Amino acid sequence: MIAVKLGIAPVVAVAGVLAAGCAGPAPTSGTARTSPAGPAVSATEPAAAPPPAPAAGPVITVTIAAGVVTPTNAEADAVVGQPITLAVSSDAADSIHVHSIPEHTFEVQPLPDQRFEFTVEVPGSVEVELHDLNRTLVTIAVRPQ
Amino acid sequence: MSGTTLLAHGVGGSTDLPLPLSYALIGCVWALIATFAVVAVAWRTPRFDPDKPGRALPQWVSAAVDSAAVRAILAAAALAATAWVAVAAIWGPQDSDNALPGAFYVLLWVGLGAVSVLLGPIWRVISPVRTLWRLTHRRPGERGGATTDARRRYPAGLGYWPAAAGLFGFVWLELASPDPGSLTAIKVWILCYALAMFAGAAVFGPRWFARADPFEVYSVTVSRLSPFRRNRQTGRIVVGNPLDHLPTMPVRPGTVAVMAVLLGSTAFDSFSQFAGFRNFVDRHGAAVPLVGEAGGASALRTVGLMGFVLIVGASFTAAARATAGITPQQRREMPGRLAHCLIPIVVGYIFAHYLSYLIERGQETLVRLADPLGRGWHLLGLDTGDVVYLLSTNPTLLWGIKVACVVLGHVVGVIAAHDQALRVIPVGHQLSGQLAMMAVMVAYTLTGLYLLFGG
Repeated sequence: MIAVKLGIAPVVAVAGVLAAGCAGPAPTSGTARTSPAGPAVSATEPAAAPPPAPAAGPVITVTIAAGVVTPTNAEADAVVGQPITLAVSSDAADSIHVHSIPEHTFEVQPLPDQRFEFTVEVPGSVEVELHDLNRTLVTIAVRPQ
Repeated sequence: MSGTTLLAHGVGGSTDLPLPLSYALIGCVWALIATFAVVAVAWRTPRFDPDKPGRALPQWVSAAVDSAAVRAILAAAALAATAWVAVAAIWGPQDSDNALPGAFYVLLWVGLGAVSVLLGPIWRVISPVRTLWRLTHRRPGERGGATTDARRRYPAGLGYWPAAAGLFGFVWLELASPDPGSLTAIKVWILCYALAMFAGAAVFGPRWFARADPFEVYSVTVSRLSPFRRNRQTGRIVVGNPLDHLPTMPVRPGTVAVMAVLLGSTAFDSFSQFAGFRNFVDRHGAAVPLVGEAGGASALRTVGLMGFVLIVGASFTAAARATAGITPQQRREMPGRLAHCLIPIVVGYIFAHYLSYLIERGQETLVRLADPLGRGWHLLGLDTGDVVYLLSTNPTLLWGIKVACVVLGHVVGVIAAHDQALRVIPVGHQLSGQLAMMAVMVAYTLTGLYLLFGG
Protein backbone atom coordinates (compact mmCIF):
# COMPACT_ATOMS: atom_id res chain seq x y z
CA MET A 1 0.00 0.00 0.00
CA ILE A 2 2.79 2.37 0.94
CA ALA A 3 4.71 1.31 -2.13
CA VAL A 4 1.78 2.26 -4.30
CA LYS A 5 1.45 5.67 -2.79
CA LEU A 6 5.12 6.30 -3.26
CA GLY A 7 4.79 5.10 -6.82
CA ILE A 8 1.85 7.28 -7.67
CA ALA A 9 2.64 10.44 -5.78
CA PRO A 10 5.70 11.49 -7.83
CA VAL A 11 3.86 10.83 -11.08
CA VAL A 12 0.95 12.96 -10.01
CA ALA A 13 3.31 15.66 -8.81
CA VAL A 14 5.11 15.61 -12.16
CA ALA A 15 1.76 15.59 -13.93
CA GLY A 16 0.73 18.65 -11.96
CA VAL A 17 3.92 20.49 -12.78
CA LEU A 18 3.64 19.61 -16.47
CA ALA A 19 0.01 20.66 -16.59
CA ALA A 20 0.75 23.89 -14.81
CA GLY A 21 3.66 24.59 -17.13
CA CYS A 22 1.69 23.77 -20.23
CA ALA A 23 0.35 26.75 -22.07
CA GLY A 24 -2.17 24.81 -24.14
CA PRO A 25 -5.11 23.89 -21.93
CA ALA A 26 -7.02 26.51 -19.98
CA PRO A 27 -5.65 27.38 -16.52
CA THR A 28 -8.62 25.61 -14.93
CA SER A 29 -7.23 22.34 -16.14
CA GLY A 30 -3.94 23.12 -14.43
CA THR A 31 -5.57 23.80 -11.10
CA ALA A 32 -7.89 20.85 -11.51
CA ARG A 33 -4.92 18.60 -12.06
CA THR A 34 -2.85 19.85 -9.19
CA SER A 35 -5.56 19.93 -6.56
CA PRO A 36 -6.48 16.23 -6.67
CA ALA A 37 -2.82 15.45 -6.08
CA GLY A 38 -3.96 15.80 -2.45
CA PRO A 39 -5.95 12.56 -2.29
CA ALA A 40 -3.14 10.51 -3.80
CA VAL A 41 -0.59 11.78 -1.31
CA SER A 42 -2.89 11.80 1.70
CA ALA A 43 -4.43 8.52 0.68
CA THR A 44 -5.13 7.63 4.28
CA GLU A 45 -8.83 7.70 3.47
CA PRO A 46 -9.00 4.11 2.15
CA ALA A 47 -7.02 2.93 5.18
CA ALA A 48 -9.63 4.53 7.42
CA ALA A 49 -12.38 2.82 5.42
CA PRO A 50 -13.60 -0.72 6.30
CA PRO A 51 -10.71 -3.09 7.05
CA PRO A 52 -9.12 -4.48 3.89
CA ALA A 53 -9.10 -8.19 3.05
CA PRO A 54 -6.25 -10.29 4.44
CA ALA A 55 -2.94 -9.87 2.59
CA ALA A 56 -4.48 -6.88 0.88
CA GLY A 57 -2.84 -5.65 -2.27
CA PRO A 58 -2.57 -2.10 -3.50
CA VAL A 59 -5.40 0.38 -3.08
CA ILE A 60 -5.51 2.86 -5.90
CA THR A 61 -7.38 6.05 -5.14
CA VAL A 62 -9.04 7.48 -8.22
CA THR A 63 -10.71 10.87 -8.38
CA ILE A 64 -12.80 11.97 -11.31
CA ALA A 65 -13.89 15.59 -11.14
CA ALA A 66 -14.98 17.98 -13.86
CA GLY A 67 -13.79 15.67 -16.63
CA VAL A 68 -10.31 15.31 -15.16
CA VAL A 69 -9.07 12.12 -13.57
CA THR A 70 -6.18 11.49 -11.24
CA PRO A 71 -3.97 9.62 -11.30
CA THR A 72 -3.08 8.98 -14.93
CA ASN A 73 -0.32 6.68 -16.17
CA ALA A 74 0.65 5.82 -12.61
CA GLU A 75 2.51 2.65 -11.68
CA ALA A 76 1.80 0.10 -8.99
CA ASP A 77 2.92 -3.39 -7.99
CA ALA A 78 0.92 -6.42 -6.99
CA VAL A 79 1.17 -10.17 -6.75
CA VAL A 80 -0.95 -12.81 -8.46
CA GLY A 81 -4.10 -13.57 -6.47
CA GLN A 82 -3.73 -10.49 -4.29
CA PRO A 83 -6.91 -8.41 -4.06
CA ILE A 84 -6.38 -5.07 -5.80
CA THR A 85 -8.75 -2.26 -4.85
CA LEU A 86 -9.83 0.76 -6.81
CA ALA A 87 -11.27 3.45 -4.52
CA VAL A 88 -13.15 5.76 -6.83
CA SER A 89 -14.81 9.11 -6.23
CA SER A 90 -16.48 10.46 -9.29
CA ASP A 91 -18.86 13.19 -10.39
CA ALA A 92 -19.74 11.40 -13.63
CA ALA A 93 -20.67 7.93 -14.84
CA ASP A 94 -17.90 6.09 -16.64
CA SER A 95 -16.51 2.59 -16.82
CA ILE A 96 -13.19 1.17 -15.78
CA HIS A 97 -11.57 -1.55 -17.87
CA VAL A 98 -8.92 -3.74 -16.29
CA HIS A 99 -6.84 -5.28 -19.07
CA SER A 100 -5.86 -8.42 -17.24
CA ILE A 101 -6.42 -12.07 -18.09
CA PRO A 102 -9.38 -12.40 -17.85
CA GLU A 103 -10.48 -8.79 -18.20
CA HIS A 104 -12.65 -6.96 -15.66
CA THR A 105 -15.08 -4.10 -16.25
CA PHE A 106 -16.53 -1.90 -13.52
CA GLU A 107 -19.28 0.67 -13.93
CA VAL A 108 -18.48 3.92 -12.18
CA GLN A 109 -21.43 5.89 -10.77
CA PRO A 110 -21.35 9.61 -10.02
CA LEU A 111 -20.79 8.90 -6.32
CA PRO A 112 -17.99 9.28 -3.78
CA ASP A 113 -16.24 6.33 -2.15
CA GLN A 114 -16.95 3.49 -4.54
CA ARG A 115 -14.71 0.46 -4.13
CA PHE A 116 -13.99 -2.12 -6.80
CA GLU A 117 -11.92 -5.14 -5.97
CA PHE A 118 -10.38 -7.68 -8.31
CA THR A 119 -7.59 -10.18 -8.51
CA VAL A 120 -5.30 -11.00 -11.40
CA GLU A 121 -4.48 -14.64 -12.06
CA VAL A 122 -1.92 -14.40 -14.88
CA PRO A 123 1.22 -12.29 -14.29
CA GLY A 124 1.83 -9.31 -16.53
CA SER A 125 1.56 -5.55 -16.85
CA VAL A 126 -2.11 -4.80 -16.31
CA GLU A 127 -3.48 -1.50 -17.55
CA VAL A 128 -6.43 -0.01 -15.74
CA GLU A 129 -8.23 2.30 -18.06
CA LEU A 130 -11.03 4.82 -17.73
CA HIS A 131 -13.12 4.26 -20.79
CA ASP A 132 -15.09 7.43 -21.52
CA LEU A 133 -12.32 9.84 -20.56
CA ASN A 134 -9.91 7.60 -22.49
CA ARG A 135 -7.12 7.68 -19.91
CA THR A 136 -4.91 4.99 -18.48
CA LEU A 137 -5.17 5.33 -14.71
CA VAL A 138 -2.44 2.98 -13.63
CA THR A 139 -0.33 0.14 -14.96
CA ILE A 140 -0.02 -2.59 -12.35
CA ALA A 141 2.97 -4.91 -12.59
CA VAL A 142 1.47 -8.18 -11.35
CA ARG A 143 4.23 -10.63 -10.47
CA PRO A 144 3.97 -14.33 -9.74
CA GLN A 145 3.79 -15.41 -6.10
CA MET B 1 -19.35 -0.82 -28.70
CA SER B 2 -15.85 -0.23 -27.36
CA GLY B 3 -15.48 2.92 -29.36
CA THR B 4 -12.42 4.43 -27.78
CA THR B 5 -11.00 1.65 -25.65
CA LEU B 6 -7.27 1.76 -26.18
CA LEU B 7 -6.13 -1.82 -26.19
CA ALA B 8 -2.45 -2.53 -26.33
CA HIS B 9 -1.80 -3.68 -29.91
CA GLY B 10 -5.52 -3.88 -30.49
CA VAL B 11 -5.88 -7.08 -28.51
CA GLY B 12 -6.92 -7.02 -24.88
CA GLY B 13 -5.31 -8.56 -21.83
CA SER B 14 -2.11 -7.73 -20.04
CA THR B 15 1.30 -7.12 -21.58
CA ASP B 16 4.68 -8.57 -20.64
CA LEU B 17 6.26 -7.55 -17.37
CA PRO B 18 9.21 -5.24 -18.02
CA LEU B 19 12.66 -6.81 -18.17
CA PRO B 20 14.50 -6.54 -14.83
CA LEU B 21 17.60 -4.36 -14.87
CA SER B 22 19.92 -7.31 -14.23
CA TYR B 23 18.68 -9.11 -17.36
CA ALA B 24 19.03 -5.99 -19.48
CA LEU B 25 22.56 -5.36 -18.19
CA ILE B 26 23.68 -8.93 -18.76
CA GLY B 27 22.32 -8.69 -22.30
CA CYS B 28 24.23 -5.45 -22.88
CA VAL B 29 27.47 -6.98 -21.62
CA TRP B 30 27.14 -10.01 -23.87
CA ALA B 31 26.31 -7.86 -26.88
CA LEU B 32 29.37 -5.66 -26.28
CA ILE B 33 31.76 -8.56 -25.70
CA ALA B 34 30.55 -10.35 -28.82
CA THR B 35 30.88 -7.21 -30.92
CA PHE B 36 34.46 -6.57 -29.85
CA ALA B 37 35.34 -10.22 -30.33
CA VAL B 38 33.94 -10.22 -33.85
CA VAL B 39 35.55 -6.95 -34.91
CA ALA B 40 38.92 -7.51 -33.33
CA VAL B 41 39.76 -11.19 -33.38
CA ALA B 42 37.48 -12.89 -35.90
CA TRP B 43 38.36 -14.12 -39.38
CA ARG B 44 40.03 -11.91 -41.95
CA THR B 45 38.71 -13.40 -45.18
CA PRO B 46 35.03 -13.49 -46.12
CA ARG B 47 33.40 -16.76 -45.14
CA PHE B 48 29.75 -16.59 -46.07
CA ASP B 49 28.65 -17.15 -49.61
CA PRO B 50 25.12 -17.63 -50.97
CA ASP B 51 26.62 -19.87 -53.68
CA LYS B 52 27.64 -22.53 -51.19
CA PRO B 53 25.79 -25.72 -52.01
CA GLY B 54 24.36 -26.42 -48.56
CA ARG B 55 23.18 -29.83 -47.44
CA ALA B 56 20.57 -31.02 -49.92
CA LEU B 57 17.32 -32.29 -48.52
CA PRO B 58 15.81 -35.44 -50.08
CA GLN B 59 14.50 -34.90 -53.58
CA TRP B 60 10.90 -35.42 -52.52
CA VAL B 61 11.08 -32.27 -50.35
CA SER B 62 11.90 -30.08 -53.34
CA ALA B 63 9.34 -31.96 -55.42
CA ALA B 64 6.64 -31.38 -52.80
CA VAL B 65 7.47 -27.69 -52.36
CA ASP B 66 7.46 -27.15 -56.12
CA SER B 67 4.39 -29.22 -56.82
CA ALA B 68 1.46 -27.26 -58.15
CA ALA B 69 -0.94 -29.41 -56.14
CA VAL B 70 0.75 -28.71 -52.80
CA ARG B 71 0.86 -25.01 -53.57
CA ALA B 72 -2.78 -25.00 -54.60
CA ILE B 73 -3.77 -26.79 -51.39
CA LEU B 74 -1.82 -24.33 -49.24
CA ALA B 75 -3.28 -21.36 -51.11
CA ALA B 76 -6.79 -22.77 -50.79
CA ALA B 77 -6.31 -23.39 -47.07
CA ALA B 78 -5.11 -19.81 -46.55
CA LEU B 79 -8.02 -18.46 -48.56
CA ALA B 80 -10.45 -20.54 -46.51
CA ALA B 81 -8.88 -19.28 -43.27
CA THR B 82 -9.23 -15.72 -44.56
CA ALA B 83 -12.87 -16.32 -45.36
CA TRP B 84 -13.40 -17.81 -41.89
CA VAL B 85 -11.90 -14.71 -40.25
CA ALA B 86 -13.98 -12.50 -42.54
CA VAL B 87 -17.17 -14.27 -41.44
CA ALA B 88 -16.18 -13.82 -37.80
CA ALA B 89 -15.31 -10.19 -38.41
CA ILE B 90 -18.60 -9.34 -40.10
CA TRP B 91 -21.15 -11.55 -38.37
CA GLY B 92 -19.34 -12.29 -35.10
CA PRO B 93 -19.66 -10.32 -31.86
CA GLN B 94 -18.82 -6.68 -32.58
CA ASP B 95 -16.79 -6.16 -29.42
CA SER B 96 -13.50 -7.23 -27.92
CA ASP B 97 -14.56 -10.89 -28.20
CA ASN B 98 -14.22 -10.71 -31.96
CA ALA B 99 -11.46 -12.85 -33.46
CA LEU B 100 -10.41 -10.27 -36.05
CA PRO B 101 -7.85 -8.21 -34.08
CA GLY B 102 -6.07 -11.32 -32.81
CA ALA B 103 -6.09 -12.92 -36.25
CA PHE B 104 -4.80 -9.73 -37.85
CA TYR B 105 -2.23 -8.45 -35.36
CA VAL B 106 -1.08 -11.73 -33.84
CA LEU B 107 -1.64 -14.70 -36.15
CA LEU B 108 -1.04 -12.84 -39.40
CA TRP B 109 1.68 -10.39 -38.40
CA VAL B 110 3.71 -12.21 -35.76
CA GLY B 111 2.81 -15.68 -37.01
CA LEU B 112 3.80 -14.89 -40.58
CA GLY B 113 7.17 -13.61 -39.36
CA ALA B 114 7.80 -16.72 -37.28
CA VAL B 115 6.85 -19.15 -40.05
CA SER B 116 8.89 -17.20 -42.60
CA VAL B 117 11.98 -17.29 -40.39
CA LEU B 118 11.60 -21.00 -39.76
CA LEU B 119 10.57 -22.22 -43.21
CA GLY B 120 10.94 -19.54 -45.87
CA PRO B 121 8.96 -16.91 -47.75
CA ILE B 122 5.61 -18.63 -47.44
CA TRP B 123 3.41 -15.59 -48.08
CA ARG B 124 4.21 -15.81 -51.80
CA VAL B 125 2.46 -19.18 -51.79
CA ILE B 126 -0.45 -18.52 -49.47
CA SER B 127 -1.17 -14.82 -50.03
CA PRO B 128 -4.96 -14.55 -50.44
CA VAL B 129 -4.65 -11.54 -52.74
CA ARG B 130 -2.31 -13.48 -55.02
CA THR B 131 -4.67 -16.45 -54.96
CA LEU B 132 -7.70 -14.34 -55.84
CA TRP B 133 -5.76 -12.58 -58.55
CA ARG B 134 -4.64 -15.91 -60.02
CA LEU B 135 -8.18 -17.24 -59.96
CA THR B 136 -9.59 -14.22 -61.75
CA HIS B 137 -6.78 -13.94 -64.29
CA ARG B 138 -6.48 -17.56 -65.33
CA ARG B 139 -7.13 -17.85 -69.03
CA PRO B 140 -8.82 -20.97 -70.37
CA GLY B 141 -6.38 -23.72 -71.26
CA GLU B 142 -3.47 -21.96 -69.62
CA ARG B 143 -1.44 -23.56 -66.86
CA GLY B 144 -0.34 -21.73 -63.76
CA GLY B 145 -2.39 -18.64 -64.35
CA ALA B 146 0.01 -16.05 -62.96
CA THR B 147 1.07 -14.74 -66.33
CA THR B 148 2.34 -11.52 -67.65
CA ASP B 149 -0.62 -9.45 -68.63
CA ALA B 150 0.97 -6.38 -67.09
CA ARG B 151 -0.01 -3.21 -68.83
CA ARG B 152 3.18 -1.54 -67.73
CA ARG B 153 6.56 -2.64 -66.49
CA TYR B 154 7.02 -2.10 -62.78
CA PRO B 155 9.44 0.84 -62.48
CA ALA B 156 12.71 -0.46 -61.02
CA GLY B 157 13.25 2.84 -59.22
CA LEU B 158 10.16 2.23 -57.11
CA GLY B 159 11.72 -0.89 -55.58
CA TYR B 160 10.26 -1.81 -52.22
CA TRP B 161 8.97 1.67 -51.45
CA PRO B 162 5.27 0.75 -51.86
CA ALA B 163 5.79 -2.14 -49.43
CA ALA B 164 7.61 0.14 -47.00
CA ALA B 165 4.62 2.48 -47.14
CA GLY B 166 2.24 -0.45 -46.61
CA LEU B 167 4.29 -1.69 -43.66
CA PHE B 168 4.20 1.77 -42.16
CA GLY B 169 0.44 1.75 -42.65
CA PHE B 170 0.22 -1.51 -40.74
CA VAL B 171 2.36 -0.44 -37.79
CA TRP B 172 0.56 2.91 -37.76
CA LEU B 173 -2.76 1.13 -37.35
CA GLU B 174 -1.38 -1.03 -34.57
CA LEU B 175 0.63 1.57 -32.65
CA ALA B 176 -0.47 5.09 -33.53
CA SER B 177 -4.04 5.10 -34.82
CA PRO B 178 -6.81 6.46 -32.59
CA ASP B 179 -8.15 2.99 -31.75
CA PRO B 180 -6.07 -0.02 -32.85
CA GLY B 181 -8.69 -2.43 -31.51
CA SER B 182 -11.53 -0.93 -33.56
CA LEU B 183 -13.02 -3.59 -35.80
CA THR B 184 -14.09 -0.91 -38.25
CA ALA B 185 -10.57 0.49 -38.49
CA ILE B 186 -9.11 -2.96 -39.16
CA LYS B 187 -11.76 -3.72 -41.76
CA VAL B 188 -11.16 -0.42 -43.53
CA TRP B 189 -7.41 -1.05 -43.46
CA ILE B 190 -7.81 -4.51 -44.99
CA LEU B 191 -10.18 -3.14 -47.62
CA CYS B 192 -7.67 -0.44 -48.58
CA TYR B 193 -4.91 -3.06 -48.67
CA ALA B 194 -6.91 -5.35 -50.95
CA LEU B 195 -7.86 -2.49 -53.26
CA ALA B 196 -4.25 -1.29 -53.48
CA MET B 197 -3.08 -4.82 -54.24
CA PHE B 198 -5.60 -5.49 -56.99
CA ALA B 199 -5.31 -2.03 -58.55
CA GLY B 200 -1.52 -2.26 -58.66
CA ALA B 201 -1.60 -5.78 -60.03
CA ALA B 202 -4.01 -4.68 -62.74
CA VAL B 203 -1.39 -2.20 -63.93
CA PHE B 204 1.91 -3.93 -63.19
CA GLY B 205 0.93 -7.60 -63.14
CA PRO B 206 1.90 -10.00 -60.34
CA ARG B 207 5.28 -8.32 -59.83
CA TRP B 208 3.30 -5.72 -57.91
CA PHE B 209 2.66 -8.30 -55.17
CA ALA B 210 6.39 -9.01 -54.87
CA ARG B 211 7.26 -5.35 -54.47
CA ALA B 212 4.24 -3.71 -52.86
CA ASP B 213 2.52 -6.29 -50.65
CA PRO B 214 3.76 -5.39 -47.16
CA PHE B 215 3.18 -8.92 -45.88
CA GLU B 216 5.05 -10.47 -48.79
CA VAL B 217 8.05 -8.18 -48.47
CA TYR B 218 8.09 -8.71 -44.69
CA SER B 219 7.91 -12.47 -45.22
CA VAL B 220 10.63 -12.48 -47.88
CA THR B 221 12.87 -10.23 -45.80
CA VAL B 222 12.81 -12.24 -42.57
CA SER B 223 12.95 -15.53 -44.54
CA ARG B 224 16.59 -14.67 -45.32
CA LEU B 225 17.34 -15.87 -41.80
CA SER B 226 15.82 -19.27 -42.51
CA PRO B 227 18.07 -22.34 -42.52
CA PHE B 228 16.25 -23.51 -45.66
CA ARG B 229 17.11 -22.08 -49.05
CA ARG B 230 17.57 -23.17 -52.62
CA ASN B 231 20.82 -24.26 -54.15
CA ARG B 232 21.41 -21.61 -56.78
CA GLN B 233 22.65 -24.10 -59.37
CA THR B 234 20.28 -27.00 -58.95
CA GLY B 235 17.25 -25.25 -57.49
CA ARG B 236 17.00 -28.00 -54.89
CA ILE B 237 16.02 -27.11 -51.36
CA VAL B 238 18.97 -27.33 -48.99
CA VAL B 239 19.55 -26.72 -45.33
CA GLY B 240 22.51 -24.59 -44.45
CA ASN B 241 23.96 -21.76 -42.40
CA PRO B 242 21.53 -18.80 -42.32
CA LEU B 243 24.59 -16.55 -42.61
CA ASP B 244 25.09 -17.90 -46.13
CA HIS B 245 21.45 -17.16 -46.82
CA LEU B 246 21.34 -13.58 -45.47
CA PRO B 247 23.23 -11.87 -48.32
CA THR B 248 20.59 -13.08 -50.80
CA MET B 249 18.29 -10.33 -49.55
CA PRO B 250 17.51 -8.41 -52.76
CA VAL B 251 18.85 -4.87 -52.65
CA ARG B 252 16.36 -2.51 -54.22
CA PRO B 253 15.33 1.06 -53.59
CA GLY B 254 13.43 1.01 -50.31
CA THR B 255 15.18 -2.02 -48.79
CA VAL B 256 16.61 0.06 -45.97
CA ALA B 257 13.22 1.74 -45.49
CA VAL B 258 11.58 -1.66 -44.97
CA MET B 259 14.17 -2.50 -42.29
CA ALA B 260 13.77 0.90 -40.68
CA VAL B 261 9.98 0.51 -40.44
CA LEU B 262 10.26 -2.97 -38.92
CA LEU B 263 12.91 -2.06 -36.35
CA GLY B 264 11.77 1.50 -35.60
CA SER B 265 8.16 0.50 -35.06
CA THR B 266 9.04 -2.29 -32.65
CA ALA B 267 11.18 0.13 -30.65
CA PHE B 268 8.42 2.72 -30.69
CA ASP B 269 5.99 0.11 -29.39
CA SER B 270 8.05 -0.16 -26.18
CA PHE B 271 8.68 3.56 -26.00
CA SER B 272 5.01 4.42 -26.33
CA GLN B 273 4.30 2.43 -23.15
CA PHE B 274 6.55 4.74 -21.11
CA ALA B 275 4.57 6.81 -18.61
CA GLY B 276 6.48 9.93 -19.66
CA PHE B 277 5.43 9.63 -23.29
CA ARG B 278 1.85 8.79 -22.35
CA ASN B 279 1.64 11.81 -20.07
CA PHE B 280 2.95 13.95 -22.89
CA VAL B 281 0.34 12.57 -25.29
CA ASP B 282 -2.47 12.96 -22.74
CA ARG B 283 -1.45 16.51 -22.03
CA HIS B 284 -0.95 17.76 -25.55
CA GLY B 285 -3.35 15.62 -27.55
CA ALA B 286 -6.10 18.21 -27.20
CA ALA B 287 -3.78 20.98 -28.41
CA VAL B 288 -3.51 19.52 -31.92
CA PRO B 289 -5.93 21.54 -34.03
CA LEU B 290 -8.90 20.23 -36.02
CA VAL B 291 -8.83 16.54 -35.08
CA GLY B 292 -10.20 16.37 -31.54
CA GLU B 293 -8.45 14.88 -28.55
CA ALA B 294 -8.27 11.25 -29.70
CA GLY B 295 -7.13 12.39 -33.13
CA GLY B 296 -4.58 14.70 -31.59
CA ALA B 297 -3.17 11.90 -29.47
CA SER B 298 -3.01 9.76 -32.59
CA ALA B 299 -1.21 12.55 -34.43
CA LEU B 300 1.41 12.81 -31.68
CA ARG B 301 1.93 9.04 -31.69
CA THR B 302 2.23 9.15 -35.47
CA VAL B 303 4.98 11.73 -35.20
CA GLY B 304 6.73 9.57 -32.59
CA LEU B 305 6.46 6.45 -34.73
CA MET B 306 7.70 8.30 -37.79
CA GLY B 307 10.56 9.72 -35.73
CA PHE B 308 11.69 6.26 -34.61
CA VAL B 309 11.58 4.95 -38.18
CA LEU B 310 13.50 7.95 -39.51
CA ILE B 311 16.13 7.71 -36.78
CA VAL B 312 16.76 4.04 -37.57
CA GLY B 313 16.87 4.68 -41.32
CA ALA B 314 19.10 7.76 -41.06
CA SER B 315 21.52 6.29 -38.52
CA PHE B 316 21.91 3.08 -40.49
CA THR B 317 22.41 4.90 -43.78
CA ALA B 318 24.91 7.30 -42.24
CA ALA B 319 26.87 4.50 -40.59
CA ALA B 320 26.97 2.47 -43.78
CA ARG B 321 28.18 5.47 -45.74
CA ALA B 322 30.76 6.27 -43.09
CA THR B 323 32.60 3.06 -43.94
CA ALA B 324 36.24 4.01 -44.37
CA GLY B 325 38.49 3.22 -47.32
CA ILE B 326 35.97 2.83 -50.15
CA THR B 327 35.24 4.72 -53.34
CA PRO B 328 32.36 7.24 -53.58
CA GLN B 329 30.46 4.83 -55.83
CA GLN B 330 30.79 2.05 -53.23
CA ARG B 331 29.81 4.52 -50.54
CA ARG B 332 26.47 5.10 -52.22
CA GLU B 333 25.88 1.39 -52.47
CA MET B 334 26.89 0.57 -48.91
CA PRO B 335 23.49 0.99 -47.17
CA GLY B 336 21.96 -1.55 -49.56
CA ARG B 337 24.89 -3.92 -49.36
CA LEU B 338 24.75 -3.95 -45.56
CA ALA B 339 20.95 -3.92 -45.22
CA HIS B 340 20.72 -7.69 -44.78
CA CYS B 341 22.78 -7.38 -41.58
CA LEU B 342 19.79 -5.71 -39.96
CA ILE B 343 17.53 -8.72 -40.56
CA PRO B 344 18.77 -10.73 -37.55
CA ILE B 345 18.51 -7.66 -35.32
CA VAL B 346 14.96 -7.00 -36.54
CA VAL B 347 13.91 -10.63 -36.11
CA GLY B 348 15.54 -10.93 -32.68
CA TYR B 349 13.82 -7.80 -31.46
CA ILE B 350 10.44 -8.75 -32.93
CA PHE B 351 10.62 -12.16 -31.25
CA ALA B 352 11.73 -10.64 -27.95
CA HIS B 353 8.82 -8.28 -28.15
CA TYR B 354 5.99 -10.38 -29.52
CA LEU B 355 6.81 -14.02 -28.70
CA SER B 356 4.43 -14.16 -25.74
CA TYR B 357 1.81 -12.48 -27.91
CA LEU B 358 2.18 -15.10 -30.58
CA ILE B 359 1.99 -18.00 -28.17
CA GLU B 360 -0.63 -16.75 -25.70
CA ARG B 361 -2.76 -14.30 -27.69
CA GLY B 362 -2.43 -16.74 -30.55
CA GLN B 363 -4.09 -19.45 -28.47
CA GLU B 364 -6.82 -17.03 -27.37
CA THR B 365 -7.42 -16.11 -30.99
CA LEU B 366 -7.77 -19.75 -31.99
CA VAL B 367 -10.35 -20.19 -29.23
CA ARG B 368 -12.24 -17.18 -30.57
CA LEU B 369 -12.01 -18.52 -34.10
CA ALA B 370 -13.54 -21.76 -32.81
CA ASP B 371 -16.59 -19.70 -31.90
CA PRO B 372 -16.60 -17.19 -34.77
CA LEU B 373 -20.18 -15.99 -34.33
CA GLY B 374 -20.15 -15.79 -30.54
CA ARG B 375 -22.73 -18.53 -30.14
CA GLY B 376 -20.87 -20.55 -27.56
CA TRP B 377 -19.44 -23.07 -30.02
CA HIS B 378 -16.35 -25.04 -29.11
CA LEU B 379 -15.19 -26.29 -32.51
CA LEU B 380 -12.40 -28.85 -32.12
CA GLY B 381 -13.21 -28.74 -28.42
CA LEU B 382 -11.38 -25.42 -27.96
CA ASP B 383 -12.26 -23.50 -24.82
CA THR B 384 -10.82 -20.47 -23.04
CA GLY B 385 -9.78 -22.80 -20.23
CA ASP B 386 -7.43 -24.55 -22.65
CA VAL B 387 -5.17 -21.53 -23.10
CA VAL B 388 -1.80 -22.17 -21.47
CA TYR B 389 -0.05 -19.01 -20.25
CA LEU B 390 3.31 -20.71 -20.09
CA LEU B 391 5.45 -17.62 -20.69
CA SER B 392 3.46 -15.14 -18.60
CA THR B 393 3.38 -17.45 -15.59
CA ASN B 394 7.15 -17.97 -15.87
CA PRO B 395 8.49 -14.43 -16.27
CA THR B 396 12.08 -15.49 -15.68
CA LEU B 397 11.83 -17.90 -18.61
CA LEU B 398 10.30 -15.17 -20.77
CA TRP B 399 12.96 -12.64 -19.75
CA GLY B 400 15.69 -15.13 -20.54
CA ILE B 401 14.19 -15.79 -23.96
CA LYS B 402 13.85 -12.07 -24.65
CA VAL B 403 17.46 -11.29 -23.81
CA ALA B 404 18.64 -14.33 -25.75
CA CYS B 405 16.66 -13.24 -28.83
CA VAL B 406 18.04 -9.70 -28.74
CA VAL B 407 21.64 -10.72 -28.10
CA LEU B 408 21.58 -13.57 -30.61
CA GLY B 409 20.06 -11.32 -33.26
CA HIS B 410 22.71 -8.73 -32.52
CA VAL B 411 25.59 -11.20 -32.72
CA VAL B 412 24.39 -12.69 -36.00
CA GLY B 413 23.92 -9.18 -37.42
CA VAL B 414 27.41 -8.13 -36.36
CA ILE B 415 28.92 -11.30 -37.84
CA ALA B 416 27.11 -10.69 -41.11
CA ALA B 417 28.24 -7.06 -41.19
CA HIS B 418 31.83 -8.06 -40.45
CA ASP B 419 31.84 -10.60 -43.24
CA GLN B 420 30.33 -8.16 -45.70
CA ALA B 421 32.85 -5.51 -44.68
CA LEU B 422 35.68 -7.93 -45.47
CA ARG B 423 34.21 -8.34 -48.94
CA VAL B 424 33.94 -4.64 -49.64
CA ILE B 425 36.56 -2.79 -47.63
CA PRO B 426 40.13 -2.95 -48.95
CA VAL B 427 42.83 -4.59 -46.83
CA GLY B 428 44.29 -2.10 -44.39
CA HIS B 429 40.96 -0.41 -43.66
CA GLN B 430 39.06 -3.51 -42.69
CA LEU B 431 39.18 -2.99 -38.95
CA SER B 432 38.61 0.75 -38.82
CA GLY B 433 36.25 0.68 -41.78
CA GLN B 434 33.50 -1.19 -39.99
CA LEU B 435 33.60 0.69 -36.69
CA ALA B 436 30.74 3.06 -37.54
CA MET B 437 28.40 0.20 -38.45
CA MET B 438 29.34 -1.76 -35.33
CA ALA B 439 28.70 1.32 -33.18
CA VAL B 440 25.25 1.76 -34.68
CA MET B 441 24.37 -1.90 -34.21
CA VAL B 442 25.48 -1.75 -30.58
CA ALA B 443 23.38 1.38 -30.17
CA TYR B 444 20.30 -0.39 -31.59
CA THR B 445 20.75 -3.37 -29.30
CA LEU B 446 21.41 -1.37 -26.14
CA THR B 447 18.44 0.87 -26.92
CA GLY B 448 16.31 -2.20 -27.53
CA LEU B 449 17.27 -3.71 -24.19
CA TYR B 450 16.69 -0.39 -22.45
CA LEU B 451 13.22 -0.18 -23.98
CA LEU B 452 12.41 -3.75 -22.93
CA PHE B 453 13.64 -2.86 -19.43
CA GLY B 454 11.04 -0.13 -19.47
CA GLY B 455 13.17 2.91 -18.83
